[in-house]
Amino acid sequence: MYDAIDRRRMLQRAGAGFGMLPVAGLLQQRAIADGELVGPHFAPRARRVIFLFMNGAPSHVDTFDPKPKLKEVAGELPEGMKTKGDGYMPSPFRFAPRGESGVVMSELFPHLARHADDLCVIRSMHTDTPNHEPGLLLMHSGNQQPTRPCLGSWASYGLGSENENLPAFVALCGGLPVVGPQLWSSAFLPGNHQALSVNTSDMKLESLVAHLKHPALSRGEQREQLDLVQSLNRLRMSHRGDKEFNAHIRSMELAFQMQAEATEAFDVSREPEYVHERYGQTTFAQSCLLGRRLLERGVRFVQVYYVDKNKQPWDTHADNDNKHRTLCADSDRATAALLADLKDRGMLEDTLVVWGGEFGRTPYSQVAGKDGKGKPGRDHHATGFSMFLAGGGVRGGLMYGKTDELGMHAVQDRVHVHDLHATILHLMGIDHTRLTYRYSGRDFRLTDVYGRVVNGLLA
Amino acid sequence: MPTRVSILLLMPLICVRVHSNAGADERVDFFEKRIRPILVEQCYPCHSAEGKSIEGGLRVDSPQAMRRGGESGPSLAPVGGDESLLLSAIKYESLEMPPDQKLPEAIVKDFEKWIASGAIDPRDEPVAAVEEFHSEVDYAAGREFWAFQRPSRHALPEHAAGDWCQTDVDHFVAAKLLNAELAPSGRAEPQALLRRLSFDLTGLPPSADQIAHANTLNDVAGYARMVEDLLASPAFGEHWARMWLDLMRFADDQAHIVGNDKSLCFPNSYLYRDWVIQAFNDDVPYDRFVEMQLAADQLTPDNPHDDVALGFMGLGPKYYRRSAPEVMADEWEDRIDVLSQGLLGLTVACARCHDHKYDPIGTADYYALAGIFASVEMFNRPISDDCELGKNGEAKDPANAMHIVRDVEPVNVSIMVRGDVNRRGPEVPRRFLTALCAVEPEPFSQGSGRLELAHHVASSENPLTARVFVNRVWAKLIGRPLVGTPSNFGQLGERPTHPELLDDLAVRFMEQGWSLKWLCRELVSSATYQQSSAAHGQGDLVDPDNQLLWRMHRKRLNVEQWRDAILAATGKLDLSLGGPSIDPELPDSRRRTVYSQASRLKLNPMLALFDYPDPNAHSARRVQTTSPSQKLFLLNSPFMFANANALRERLAKETSKQQQLIERAYQLLYARTPSDDEVAIGLQYLSGSDERMTEYLHALMVTNEVLFVE
Repeated sequence: MYDAIDRRRMLQRAGAGFGMLPVAGLLQQRAIADGELVGPHFAPRARRVIFLFMNGAPSHVDTFDPKPKLKEVAGELPEGMKTKGDGYMPSPFRFAPRGESGVVMSELFPHLARHADDLCVIRSMHTDTPNHEPGLLLMHSGNQQPTRPCLGSWASYGLGSENENLPAFVALCGGLPVVGPQLWSSAFLPGNHQALSVNTSDMKLESLVAHLKHPALSRGEQREQLDLVQSLNRLRMSHRGDKEFNAHIRSMELAFQMQAEATEAFDVSREPEYVHERYGQTTFAQSCLLGRRLLERGVRFVQVYYVDKNKQPWDTHADNDNKHRTLCADSDRATAALLADLKDRGMLEDTLVVWGGEFGRTPYSQVAGKDGKGKPGRDHHATGFSMFLAGGGVRGGLMYGKTDELGMHAVQDRVHVHDLHATILHLMGIDHTRLTYRYSGRDFRLTDVYGRVVNGLLA
Repeated sequence: MPTRVSILLLMPLICVRVHSNAGADERVDFFEKRIRPILVEQCYPCHSAEGKSIEGGLRVDSPQAMRRGGESGPSLAPVGGDESLLLSAIKYESLEMPPDQKLPEAIVKDFEKWIASGAIDPRDEPVAAVEEFHSEVDYAAGREFWAFQRPSRHALPEHAAGDWCQTDVDHFVAAKLLNAELAPSGRAEPQALLRRLSFDLTGLPPSADQIAHANTLNDVAGYARMVEDLLASPAFGEHWARMWLDLMRFADDQAHIVGNDKSLCFPNSYLYRDWVIQAFNDDVPYDRFVEMQLAADQLTPDNPHDDVALGFMGLGPKYYRRSAPEVMADEWEDRIDVLSQGLLGLTVACARCHDHKYDPIGTADYYALAGIFASVEMFNRPISDDCELGKNGEAKDPANAMHIVRDVEPVNVSIMVRGDVNRRGPEVPRRFLTALCAVEPEPFSQGSGRLELAHHVASSENPLTARVFVNRVWAKLIGRPLVGTPSNFGQLGERPTHPELLDDLAVRFMEQGWSLKWLCRELVSSATYQQSSAAHGQGDLVDPDNQLLWRMHRKRLNVEQWRDAILAATGKLDLSLGGPSIDPELPDSRRRTVYSQASRLKLNPMLALFDYPDPNAHSARRVQTTSPSQKLFLLNSPFMFANANALRERLAKETSKQQQLIERAYQLLYARTPSDDEVAIGLQYLSGSDERMTEYLHALMVTNEVLFVE
């Protein structure tokens, strides 16, 4: 009973409350040097985004892109290529159509299978490089060098935050991924569009967010201290109506309120037991749960990185099959829980969920172990791989695009990283060609001179 | 033989295929039978695109990649005597390759023979046809734009506010003000002036002694003496160095650090920072300052210590996968961007893919500069005799090195059509920018051309160099630049608010020996600078942004000034000069903020929070943000607690009387005495006990007044 009431209240909040909140709260505090909001250019389908990033790159032929033909050619070397392995390696996993729509996925995703009709699987992704660093930077910022703002920063710049007491863009990482903070950097955009990065390897509130609480003063005592500060501030400006000083006074007040709001938002221990159970207790699962809490409270863009002490767990150069068993089990449960949670709250409609890595993995094997007799892995693969989207204005129950019969190259309805970026921005109500920032003598944009909205993905 | 190799090296970006005569055919045959199988079998596993790795960034699976070489340098170029790196490596004389077992002597001989006969290598690779390339740039028309015209002196304008003026600067300002029917503001109070001067010239708050003598600023001689004291302070160089470090994207590591491999990092970047600080303190003429950073090795070959100045380029980003041509092309763009935006106020990097759309900068101009940087390599020069050397005389461990650049075999670069490394246009000789030369620019002939480049940049003939620097200094002292886009003086940049003033200052700056201290003195001596920052109705109505300077701009402290001010107030600031980097956020770190680590990988969170620029690229100016996250840091960070406590301890030693303590705190934090109201508010908060003293002092440390200079 209590849960039901609570949920209803949540739904009201999600359904009506957010729409009423002013876009670009003061937290956003657009830099003085920075003009007005750019977007949205048209009505958004996704008010917020959560990007689940499988660091190291999942294997498409073991997850969402079945290639039965690999069995026939197993052991044959790919033509015209020098590989480090024993030729084509079929996936050991069973694939089957799921849901009413029949979206095909491997047996590694029993939980996601129940959400098949919400998934929009892109099987024809391709990117420019099979190396982690430039590949990660390209997937995040549309450029291979660490000099451009990332997708989340562009979204923050274009749309601001929906909750003035929380940042617009948050990166949740259970450890430091390869490349690290440049992945959520605002580069030349004003610094307030950088993600607040949160290390989720320890979910205790004090370790999550810096400077959120005074260690000694009670809220009342700190209020008194703040009143002192503000009365001194006002004394200095009594003879000047002063926008700049006022902005600092207001900002100080917001900080005070934010302590309460963020304390609540970041505290996953407030979630009931059954919710924790649904997601699982792993770092990634808890990060997803925290991500959902932040989305609910108006954070615009959440990046969740699948990392732990290993900076790229999905980089399965050796023992590909077993590692995928373990990784998918974790990711499947948490991702499915997130989808279910968002749906329950009526939020999936306008929340875009993105799942994938920086590229895919080779359909052929890579030998492992010093003697070459270890369990084989798969190498990096950039010319064809899979990702999926859900919610936020995408067509559920869709399998979009194709790789060739061996999963080597995207051959039909190809989607480049730039196209994915253009599409995500489109769903957020932004024309990717018009979200620009003047820097260094020219107008930069996330998609540079590339990118097209993939209409086939839209609901 | 070396001659032939160097011809190959001259054209590393152009496909060279030789099989036009019988001799060549024989040599192709030799390669196919004796060389290629060994390369495939012995080298490809660790040195090819399809191998298990690309060790040391070296690929030997294409002739181009092989010539280009890896991190140890080109593999076929002679090193030391007349032997190539490849040869010395398979002879186990430099590197030891293949690492498992030395190749049989007969095979080594084959390689010797192959290289001696020209290293003919017919392996298939796409022959890049040279594409036609047309430039549409109208240089003659482009040079008409104000920024490409050399600045000249200007007669002081006529106006009716002669009494107010102290220096030439003021006449230009007053004339514009009167034109807009605005009057300049009166002089600021001496205490405010002192605080302004001190932060502007040294980045530090005034000392107790200076505050005690603030009234001497009321007369011209007293003011001038204070200015001289501040200009002579070693803190001057520390403060002004930061402006330079932003511009040249100073850092001590890379955005990409693979595993724990720090080989591309710059543990001794501080040597360059120390050089910049010293140069500003010594008032090294700005033209010389620039020349040294581009070509110290050639300007003062007898003083190798000066070469640390080459960190200007030597501390640039090294991107991931440096052996790839497209990655090196990205690095050249960084160098060109820093050079052109930082020193010339031009956005030459825009011309990498097409002619500049607005300014007279052709794609050929871009690749002319790229050729210079293609002829230069990053070099970790050993700083002591006893450190272990790697290949090519580099220190094996960067911790034993100064991070500079040096010339390699000079090359010209071909235009990359639309910026695509695979689409070749015509080759462009290394030379300076056409728009900045009166006639067609001469190709550079001395090595990479760095020295010639340096002369072109640091020249009184160059219409931009002095203007751009003067504008940056103006912005720091006055609070707003004359040209609102300090790194873009092109068509898309803003026009100067006071063009004659800018030009007159730029010319006089050059006439005065390009002296930064002269320029600072000239600006802070002006009545313009000494105005009160108080707003008034008429000014706000006519010119709300204060472009015409009817008052002094109120300036917000940058993170360096702010943190230094806090440490100075608590008495913890360590004023010793120079040295390795610190973590500025640690509560017990006491050195000035200019010495902070500057990480491209993970910028210190405190610096990042307070608008320190991303050191991955040139920064034109600091953005100023005001965010609740900054305020949370002020309210709740260990850094602030530690300093509030330290201030309390400092004051407790001086007095036990609360009113005196309050007065002293105001002096230390705001360089003034508190009003009666302020004392009363403080006493009321403390309510007779010292229990809340730390919270009170903490509150004083986070008011707006600490953050701003009036």
